[in-house]
Amino acid sequence: MIIVAIILGCIVGALIGMNSPIIPYTYSGYLAIAIIAALDSVFGGISSILNKNFDLKIFVSGFFGNAILSILLTYLGQKLNVDIYLAAIVVFVGRMFNNLAIIRRYYLEKFVKYRNSQNKKKEQINTDK
Amino acid sequence: MNKKQIGITLGIMCLILTFGVTLQIRTMNSASSTASQTLADNELRDSVLKWKEKYDNISEELKRAEKVLEGVRQTATQDNVTASAKEEELKKNQTMLGLTDVKGSGIVIELQDGKLDNSFLTIAEPSKVLVHYEDLLSLVNELRNSGAEAIQINGQRIVNTSAITCEGTVIKINGERIGSPFTIKAIGSQALLYGQITREGSYLNTMKDTGVDVVSVTQEDEITIEKYTGTMNFKYIKSVK
Repeated sequence: MIIVAIILGCIVGALIGMNSPIIPYTYSGYLAIAIIAALDSVFGGISSILNKNFDLKIFVSGFFGNAILSILLTYLGQKLNVDIYLAAIVVFVGRMFNNLAIIRRYYLEKFVKYRNSQNKKKEQINTDK
Repeated sequence: MNKKQIGITLGIMCLILTFGVTLQIRTMNSASSTASQTLADNELRDSVLKWKEKYDNISEELKRAEKVLEGVRQTATQDNVTASAKEEELKKNQTMLGLTDVKGSGIVIELQDGKLDNSFLTIAEPSKVLVHYEDLLSLVNELRNSGAEAIQINGQRIVNTSAITCEGTVIKINGERIGSPFTIKAIGSQALLYGQITREGSYLNTMKDTGVDVVSVTQEDEITIEKYTGTMNFKYIKSVK
């Protein structure tokens, strides 16, 4: 059910994006930073699911809150002539790599455990023989 | 929160995310084409210069080849009456087309963009003191109308394929840029040309009234007008027999 909803959302979103009018170049920077923030929340959500402390409320508020906050910070940076979006990118991408590392470690451990159990089973079979 | 709600929220979030990503990709695709426009401009300029050099070299070669051809033609027609008559006609045709240097009596008009002063006219319409391509066109028209046989503006011979166009801030004749000050040479009947150009209510006088700086209109006995340096190709017209 959840996976179906996610896939459906992705397809519909891509379709709308393909057919919508493009935004002016000046605002594309804000959209880009919002996308990075949202992606960061997504990876954060996945890693929190793996850690079994996932909370939908935190996830949703992080998704939209981070995106909007990063847009506002970028805007402020432009007004103050400071490239705040660079800081946002560093933080978000850094966190993204952290979360990716957690996800990778989780599945790697799972894989190793699975192989060990497989081997043990084989040994058992062998000893039984 | 049940599973249905979670699914719907995640679906909406994915929708927004993919929508944003595709939109951004499309925006950047279209933006990169505009951002690289200046680069393309520079490259175009470079290639224009290269082609110009090539063109110059080739026209140089053409000149040499024409000289050789002329020599060959002369030796070939030396003792042939009909051929020499044809040679004569060829020369006449070339002169008419503007492919030969010509000289004769006529008038020389010199004019340049007027200066902005504080008179009412220039304040009301400052662009009127400039020489526009329409002005040159009208002058050429007037000269032709009064029997000018050869006309040249700033070294550009006006032939039957010439166009006088406006490219932003410059005027182009025969595809070459020209600018103020302008020297217009015309060969023809001095009295007729001079009379027509300087008569009351002529186009030149109208221009003078609007603030264009008409430096001089002089009658000269010997004006040399260079030949048209471009090439004339006729692809579509054929003579009807």
